[in-house]
Amino acid sequence: MSRKKAAKGKAATSSPSAGSPTGGKGTGKAARSSPGIVQMNGVVHPSRPSISNSSEFYDIAFKVMLVGDSGVGKTCLLVRFKDGAFLAGSFISTVGIDFRNKVLNIDGVKVKLQIWDTAGQERFRSVTHAYYRDAHALLLLYDVTNKTSFDNIQAWLTEIHEYAQQDVVLMLLGNKADATHDRVVKREDGERLAKEFGVPFMETSARSGLNVELAFTAVAKELKHRSVKDPSEKFKLQEYVNKEMKGTGCCRS
Amino acid sequence: MEKNNKATNHRTRSAVDGRAKDRVDRVDPYGFERSEDFDYESYEELMSEYLVVLTRRTIKWSKLLKGKGKVQKNVKLKRYVRKGIPNEHRALIWMAASGAQDQLEKNPGYYQSLLGAQHDPKLAETICTDLNRTFPDNILFRKTSSPCLQKALNNVLLAYGHHNQAVGYCQGMNFIAGYLLIITKDEEKSFWLMDALLSRILPDYYSPAMLGLKTDQEVLGELVKMKIPRVWQTMVDHNVMWTLVVSRWFICLYIDILPVETVLRIWDCLFYEGSKILFRVALTLIHHNQALIQQAQSLPDVCQNFKQITHGPFVDECHTFMQKIFTEPGSLPMATLTKLRATCRSRIIAEES
Repeated sequence: MSRKKAAKGKAATSSPSAGSPTGGKGTGKAARSSPGIVQMNGVVHPSRPSISNSSEFYDIAFKVMLVGDSGVGKTCLLVRFKDGAFLAGSFISTVGIDFRNKVLNIDGVKVKLQIWDTAGQERFRSVTHAYYRDAHALLLLYDVTNKTSFDNIQAWLTEIHEYAQQDVVLMLLGNKADATHDRVVKREDGERLAKEFGVPFMETSARSGLNVELAFTAVAKELKHRSVKDPSEKFKLQEYVNKEMKGTGCCRS
Repeated sequence: MEKNNKATNHRTRSAVDGRAKDRVDRVDPYGFERSEDFDYESYEELMSEYLVVLTRRTIKWSKLLKGKGKVQKNVKLKRYVRKGIPNEHRALIWMAASGAQDQLEKNPGYYQSLLGAQHDPKLAETICTDLNRTFPDNILFRKTSSPCLQKALNNVLLAYGHHNQAVGYCQGMNFIAGYLLIITKDEEKSFWLMDALLSRILPDYYSPAMLGLKTDQEVLGELVKMKIPRVWQTMVDHNVMWTLVVSRWFICLYIDILPVETVLRIWDCLFYEGSKILFRVALTLIHHNQALIQQAQSLPDVCQNFKQITHGPFVDECHTFMQKIFTEPGSLPMATLTKLRATCRSRIIAEES
């Protein structure tokens, strides 16, 4: 499969802990812990690149979850970010839970985002919310052309507060911002709601690519900042987002 | 699906490859467009063998069904079903074996009355969200296609949602109804087959609590623990919940997981023998690929490997695969399954309360 990157060959030379899949019993534990996801406030080893047989090198890894109502564009957002493509009319509804990896270079540190895509339908939440617990970041999406998906954000936030870690990085995204004719949720409405709950916010478009990279980069920056620096010295996620964000009607790309 | 045949492809045969591409349709017999990296060469090779089997089976089935108005379930028919129902008889046998035909005959006009009644707008909207996301790669589901199965899909799901209000609509049902429509080409039959699956054949996979699904995922875990303990250990080592790797197997009944032809062969047995077959398939996939699964170094690796094992020649060769599922996992008595289901179910209920 194409996902097997060239990294496989390099593994043996550069990462002794993850080199041999058949490694003896004694090394089994070390081999497993190395490519694992770092704990929120856990120890990070930027000097010891980790690797697993399905991804590239990385220094630190985080788990990000995409949540929101069915049909708001979670899978499309992820595919746009991962592959730079838009799945116009060729995607299928996500059943259950799935994930993709992407390694970002954040200020010289290779940050691996393990991004979990979930089914939006309510009944699947009882299957997927078991995963909230381990998520370092949650991207909560609504669809600017679907009022119900916006109205349900409060319920999603309640669910997140109940099941996710207290210090989870959370961001609200109003997706499908390109669909000017069908828009029913104003940008200001999204901003107001985000402010009310103290959550960073931006509008995105998986179709045009608007702010997609930024959403994930901002989250990666925040997570990296939290784990490598003194947590008291805060990276301002919303400030960063405001500075970098592109408006819907902006011709600058 | 059939996209991942690359392993068996030989680059040097590219000249022959081109010819195979000219001979084989771009759309499969069920309306699915072949992917860009579809391996026509391997497909042709595989089909040349499978067509012999299909022809032999078709002749046998024609003899079996000749002059019979009604199909009786018996040992011979069961054997025949396991060897594959020719596509032209699928709808008939599925309807008869599952009891859907009886229901259809007992309830004339019921399906139409469901369609004619006032529809719950919320249910209609939920279904609508998935219409464009059900088999966009199948030409029969295009808006321009005539007849357009997307409309039929909407009808079947709407009718079913009103018929079984405890379930309503659950994602995954769209794919199942879609397959039923492709095979039966008939809304009412698809509706009653849906009813057979959801109310009799499968446990409650699709109800809001999804207890049947959660149970069967755990049951599979227990079976793996008994039969393939080293894979079970790998799952424990990397803290992988079974739902992560197999929920789609159960919810979609292997649609979009395994190749179309293989899925249909599994469904032949599903309608005739019941949900045990889903475990046989899962156990075979895991057992056959246990070495690969055990190589995983992390949770993402495990997930990746579980995706990988549903592709390739082992699952493409549906006739051999279907023979394997009855031998490779070993014996699987219904009593064991019933007992495990009860245990797992109570455990889940206890954990959730």
